[in-house]
Amino acid sequence: MTDEETDLRMWRLPRGRHGLPRELVTRSQRERLLASVVRVTAAKGYEATTVADILGEAGVGRESFYELFEDKRDCMLAAHRLLVDDLEAKVRQAYAGPGEWPDRLEAALEATLGWFAADPTAAHFTLVELAAVDTVFRTRVRAIFERFVAIVDEGLAEGGPEPDLDGATRLAVAAIMASVYEQVVLDRAAELPALRTELIFELLVPYLGEEEAREHRARAG
Amino acid sequence: MQKQSSSEKGSSGALALSVPADVAEASQRQRIIEAMVASCAEKSYRSTTITDIVGHARISRTTFYKRFEDKRACFDATVDYCIEELRATARAAHAIGDPPAEAVRKATVAFLEALSHRPAVAQLLCADATSVDPTVVERYRGLLLPALEGLWDAADMPKPSELDPRLAFGRAQLLIFNQIAAGGSDQLPDLLPEIVYLAVAPFAGHEAAVEQARLAEGKPRRRRAQG
Repeated sequence: MTDEETDLRMWRLPRGRHGLPRELVTRSQRERLLASVVRVTAAKGYEATTVADILGEAGVGRESFYELFEDKRDCMLAAHRLLVDDLEAKVRQAYAGPGEWPDRLEAALEATLGWFAADPTAAHFTLVELAAVDTVFRTRVRAIFERFVAIVDEGLAEGGPEPDLDGATRLAVAAIMASVYEQVVLDRAAELPALRTELIFELLVPYLGEEEAREHRARAG
Repeated sequence: MQKQSSSEKGSSGALALSVPADVAEASQRQRIIEAMVASCAEKSYRSTTITDIVGHARISRTTFYKRFEDKRACFDATVDYCIEELRATARAAHAIGDPPAEAVRKATVAFLEALSHRPAVAQLLCADATSVDPTVVERYRGLLLPALEGLWDAADMPKPSELDPRLAFGRAQLLIFNQIAAGGSDQLPDLLPEIVYLAVAPFAGHEAAVEQARLAEGKPRRRRAQG
């Protein structure tokens, strides 16, 4: 991961083909192409998206594109990897914060919901559009789940409770991903942060039981 | 809801059990549905064409369009058919006198085992259905949740839990989807404790769900760990 890549998400929602912010022009071609492929694919769908579309949106020449990527698919895979790495970094950072384990889990949940809400186009690209294409992309989406289970379990080992149920972390991550997926598919990604209070209760129950989870929810309010 | 042509109305999902007067028609429908399942497993719903379906089913295009308006109508009928099959399996797995938590556990075990024996159906319901459009999942959630709720209503049990059954359904679906993507459907029974927990918890609460999850762990042929 190079530094230039980490700024992809600063390229937020569509500002229209003609209104490219001036500072972007000076950014690297690779970064522009990655941001472009996310927006074009979100708008047109995987199949309909062509390299020409990506070039047009990015304002980059065909030759430069093929120096950086093998084809449209390669470019999409690179963009997907970049987005997922960015999400993971944000979640890890939040989870490593202060407080008891349930508070830290809630911070990680908040970071996840916030990430998807901040850029519904990227959210759709990351979770929905590509997963429908083929098994390679589907495996990528599944890998997000496994990465998050690993992250939560790492934090759990450092001062978390002994769960009542062995699969508690898998249930927790499944709750987050199922909720995010549903809202993204329904074009309601922006409403995700409002689900935090209900979701933290659902997440904590398999670890702590309902009473303790309810107490946490009341405190977190 | 998809429009159905009038010729389909009497066939109640092409279930083999309810053979309509026109037997040829029913068997064509059945073949088309099996072909849709096979083709989705092979190349996903998106890449499946009518040509693939008629090829698998060994029928003509004309016959296909006599039975179904288009690919999507055929897919919806296929989802309904698969769900009905699974529901029947789950229903047959528990006895009238079973306490609800136990009935739910048995039904869940049977449901997952049936799915694990039909990898193509598992793939269709978990991967293709979610990617086609959200109403498909809404549709089969509408078929499965009431069946589950019904087991509790029968015993007139108060709802002691605040856990959301809709979310539990979404969680279960995601876990099943991931398990299939990770190792194939024969590993689905590994998920039994989690899925049983999700099926019980919103209705009978966390404690009862943990108990049933532990009981379920002793059931499957494949196990994560002994004890």
